[in-house]
Amino acid sequence: MNSPSLRLLSVPLFALLLVSCSNSGFVAQPGPPPFRSATIDQDVMGKWSRSCALCHISGEAGAPVVGDTAEWRRRLQQGEDAVLANVVEGFNSMPPLGYCMACELSDFRAMIVYMAGLNQ
Amino acid sequence: MKPLSRRAFLASSVRAALFGAYAAGGSAFAQSTAWRNWSGGQSCQPAGRYDIASEGELTSLLRNTLGPIRPVGSGHSFSPLVPTDGHLVVIDQLSGILDSDSEAKQVTVGAGTRLGDLGAPLHELGQGMINLPDIDRQTVAGAIATGTHGTGVTLPALSAYVNSLRLVTPNGGVMDIDGSDQDLLHAARVNVGALGIVTQVTLQNREAYKLRKREWAAPTEDILANFDELAASHRHFEIFPLVYSDYSLVLQIDETDEPIGEVELEAEPSDDASIAESLGLSENPTPAERRRQSNATAARIQPTESVDLSYKVLSNIRNSRFNEMEYSVPAEVGAECLREILRTIYDEAIDVNFVLEYRYVSADDDWLSMSYGEHPHATISIHRAASADYRPYFDRIEPIFWKYGGRPHWGKVHSLTHRELVDLYPRFRDFMELRRELDPQGRMLNEHLRALFDA
Repeated sequence: MNSPSLRLLSVPLFALLLVSCSNSGFVAQPGPPPFRSATIDQDVMGKWSRSCALCHISGEAGAPVVGDTAEWRRRLQQGEDAVLANVVEGFNSMPPLGYCMACELSDFRAMIVYMAGLNQ
Repeated sequence: MKPLSRRAFLASSVRAALFGAYAAGGSAFAQSTAWRNWSGGQSCQPAGRYDIASEGELTSLLRNTLGPIRPVGSGHSFSPLVPTDGHLVVIDQLSGILDSDSEAKQVTVGAGTRLGDLGAPLHELGQGMINLPDIDRQTVAGAIATGTHGTGVTLPALSAYVNSLRLVTPNGGVMDIDGSDQDLLHAARVNVGALGIVTQVTLQNREAYKLRKREWAAPTEDILANFDELAASHRHFEIFPLVYSDYSLVLQIDETDEPIGEVELEAEPSDDASIAESLGLSENPTPAERRRQSNATAARIQPTESVDLSYKVLSNIRNSRFNEMEYSVPAEVGAECLREILRTIYDEAIDVNFVLEYRYVSADDDWLSMSYGEHPHATISIHRAASADYRPYFDRIEPIFWKYGGRPHWGKVHSLTHRELVDLYPRFRDFMELRRELDPQGRMLNEHLRALFDA
């Protein structure tokens, strides 16, 4: 397993690799606002770094890597709500809430946007 | 057929148990995010969360609010330690190395630090934790509070390596607890999250070190016949008995100065279906057929050996989620208890594929430790895939643990209450009394903890 310090150092590098990603293929969902309207602030990034980053930087246990827009686009084709439900309920080896015990739904939405590059 | 490594067999065993589709739970879109544990087996709808950023915030919170609260680490407990309709207190931000003593090989860490995040920075300081559990995603506070342990007849649970800790009591007071009050320290280490909220911990480590790991398969009875000697002659020694089989997977770890590297004798198979087929899992076999097929599969498992830094060897990544029950029993009856469990699974054709886990843990003095006392204990774990209902299997096996004087792991599934626990832990009543003194209103109690500690 990589050291946490190395993982965190990797965040800016991956952020630089994020590219624009059209959401034209997404099916409009009633209810919550679309992910791209979510905002990522320092508080959310802190939560992401303390939890999600454990797996989503290295791709450990099959986690989609931050900045891998093609993989995130593929996963988001099932719908934003479905992806959000996977986070909350757990999916494959990812535990419910993705180890972020402090996160509310709005945080998860922002984190997905960040990792998928939807806000670029 | 291709040979298997122990890791490949474990992974395929889990996946075989997951042949059914993953069963999603209820709606994810409640007004406030529901809390769920790692396996998804425990959940709650808290009134809210306090994501505390400092000890000062925590003391202020506890002094100025009312109502039930529960601290949450990384949610790795299978037992309902966390669920509350009050507020969750998240300690993630209380993390990192706060202080270190290179001579004494000690560090003070934030209680929310995950064990898996400590290995590399400790190595940079020339230190290594003396032992680790198989999973390292727990917070330091959670692992210690639940009596979490690793493997080793000379190595006690993680709590025994806590030199001191800081406890914020339910009324917002701050207690620095160390060896100057041995009773309090032994009570506060394995606290099951019932005495208050731990904010920082000073750990006794050792110099950084490397370990050599060897894994292979062997007949269970051959190993059990020499288990005491094997456990005594290796730093870590444990087995993973296969159900419906005469074999166990064996794991032996010793300290080494050899260079880091891994030797796989042959490549792991890539086709899980072929493994399931060899186990007969898709054919609804009889127990006898399963034993024959499982033995044949075990015979294909080839030894593997590797050398790496201690923290990389002792803990593993779990690619599948599960629920677990674990009890400790006196070492002298451990093998017999294990045999009875394996025999019960076979005789009653219990539908389970997961391996068991059997190992020794050194004795210690912490009041609620599974290995409290003067002699080592054997710990035995049973598992069930997270997507399956664990209750019928666990309900059938749990009385066998009781028969051998078993003590439950606090973070794992069990059904005991204070009525039984007072007879299993000599200092249990003392702990209950201390808890009452620190939290007379029962603010830290949820339904589960009330059954454990509130007579």
